[in-house]
Amino acid sequence: MFMYEKRLQYPVKIKTPNPKLAKAIITQYGGPHGELGASLRYLSQRFSMPYPEVKAVLTDVGTEELGHLEMVGTIVYQLTRNLTPEQIKAAGFDDYFVDHTTGIYPVAASGESFSANTFSVTGDPLADLHEDLAADATTVKEQPLFSKA
Amino acid sequence: MNDRQALLNRISVARFAAWELHIYLDTHPNDKQAMRNFEKYQKTADELTVQYEAKYGPLISSDVYGDTSWQWINAPWPWECGEVCD
Repeated sequence: MFMYEKRLQYPVKIKTPNPKLAKAIITQYGGPHGELGASLRYLSQRFSMPYPEVKAVLTDVGTEELGHLEMVGTIVYQLTRNLTPEQIKAAGFDDYFVDHTTGIYPVAASGESFSANTFSVTGDPLADLHEDLAADATTVKEQPLFSKA
Repeated sequence: MNDRQALLNRISVARFAAWELHIYLDTHPNDKQAMRNFEKYQKTADELTVQYEAKYGPLISSDVYGDTSWQWINAPWPWECGEVCD
């Protein structure tokens, strides 16, 4: 069961829209190393996890990732406010815009839609935990890049 | 930052501290000091949530009430800029 809390884990207040940055950041929403995949990975792997500590961690971290997903969606939403057609074209945001306008859709920066092929659930506790470590390493590598985008 | 946002930030700070301790306790379930700290931050967050909801409406879906109108649908939603972005 899940219940909703009507707040972000950390507040997001973006004063200056920036569709070019939005196009990069949306990959953290629906890309191969994004929060949607992270959440589904942990929440799906927990069913076959035999250890109580790890069942709890996968449940809690998988839930927290949904909170991260919400923050990333908010960032993209606020970065794409009040755009003119010229801004959309100049930022290269027109490819996304033609399908989704300024709706928030889970895609990678390359434009590829979200796919469950980006993560694994093997039913083997050690294989799954190693996959989690690899996934977490991609986040550590990728997220600092956005400050340079 | 207005009064509503300031109170919401205090709730978020306490909830974040409680949540980090919660996850730590998943793998350290016998750490009594951590459990005491968890309870402290959880209690603070719960008390602040009661204050917030009395003034500004429901924050948690189970706390929704509707006496004259259904408060849950009221702004602001978390992703909206409201009065702060522009």
